Amino acid sequence: MDVQTSPAGVGPAGRGVVSRRTVVRRVVGVALAAAVVPAAALVGRAFREPRDDMKDAAGGDFEETYRGRHIRGTRADAPMRTHTAHGAALWDVTVDGRPLHLMSRADGSYLTMVDHYQSFPTPLAAARGAVDELGDQILRRHAL
Amino acid sequence: MVYTRQNQSALTAAQKRRFVSAVLALKRKGQYDDFVRMHVEFYVGDGSGGHPVAHMAPTFMPWHRRFLLEFERALQRIDPGVSVPYWDWTVDRSPHSSLWGEGFLGGNGRRSDRRVMTGPFAYGGGHWTIKVGVTEGEFLTREFGRPRDPIELPTKDELAWAMRDSLYDSTPWNSTSSRGFRNKVEGWTSGVGNGRFRNHNRVHRWIGGHMLGAASVNDPVFWLHHSFIDLLWSRWQRQHPQSAAFLPATKAAGTERVVAGDEPMPPWDVKPSSLIKHGNLYRYA
Repeated sequence: MDVQTSPAGVGPAGRGVVSRRTVVRRVVGVALAAAVVPAAALVGRAFREPRDDMKDAAGGDFEETYRGRHIRGTRADAPMRTHTAHGAALWDVTVDGRPLHLMSRADGSYLTMVDHYQSFPTPLAAARGAVDELGDQILRRHAL
Repeated sequence: MVYTRQNQSALTAAQKRRFVSAVLALKRKGQYDDFVRMHVEFYVGDGSGGHPVAHMAPTFMPWHRRFLLEFERALQRIDPGVSVPYWDWTVDRSPHSSLWGEGFLGGNGRRSDRRVMTGPFAYGGGHWTIKVGVTEGEFLTREFGRPRDPIELPTKDELAWAMRDSLYDSTPWNSTSSRGFRNKVEGWTSGVGNGRFRNHNRVHRWIGGHMLGAASVNDPVFWLHHSFIDLLWSRWQRQHPQSAAFLPATKAAGTERVVAGDEPMPPWDVKPSSLIKHGNLYRYA
């Protein structure tokens, strides 16, 4: 292995890549189903269980109180086009008004900054999962 | 000079003390939090249109190998006699293992708020305040085995299932790769219930608290866990001498979003192929 010695005192610093702040600030969800699911099927989304099916990954905005925490998710109005040619949606999710970054996986599921290891089928389910893990803790005012 | 990474269970009390002291010194100088930030920054999902390097990608192994080396070098600038021990979680599986002792990493979090109350990294000791966290909490948290829905550490059989795969990684080179040592050790599956957490991922879940989230590096056990993961890559190479130690070797159709063996891997711009062997730097005992 060929490893150069770092200058003493220099900590690790990211460079040369798109930072996760840029990538994750608004998670990109592939809107696989948005074009084909009837509007009626989207009604009542916020009241469904966390085990919602994959169609919800493309769903609309949500807002609810879950275990005493205020969850809110907003999808951008104008879907972006990605290199996969699928329509994509950007999400802003907050818990008690504080940003909860979501990350999407290749299988269409979602992870949060609070729990990096359990995937959920929808942004809402992921937000609820984060609340389950948060306990009494509150998110930082400005996400990492 | 080639140094040795030891099994944590074989460390003397004095060796544990030196490791802990070096970690605390790094924290005091502010450098430890740089490592936390870097890991946060590089945890990118494989579905977000980004280019994951550290996780959900073939470079999971070489990225963390280099990350550990950076950390180890920072420790060695403080105490040249220190290295990162490894934790074999298939053997030391108890919440009461010496790993979690007062003189080493400290124990489980308390039930009410998961705050770690013992050892050098307990908030009350004044040496370990969380600065770079997902929440505003300033104390280190753990929740061994997730009592509300109990989960065990990975077993020898589960690890053997990953080690048996003679292919390093496979298309589509992400968290959905069904074949390959890399994803089986990293631990992404399409399983349900506790079956969805395998090996590396399951250990993060078992410890819980900070180890579960983006800022997992805040828990010093992160390094001992990844030292073992690093050892597993070397052990796997020995068990499969006919296999390519890293894939994909070069850019090809379908590898656009990952770093191939002969490409520069951020943030260090080193080739994964240059990180396959480590015998000239360190060895495992």
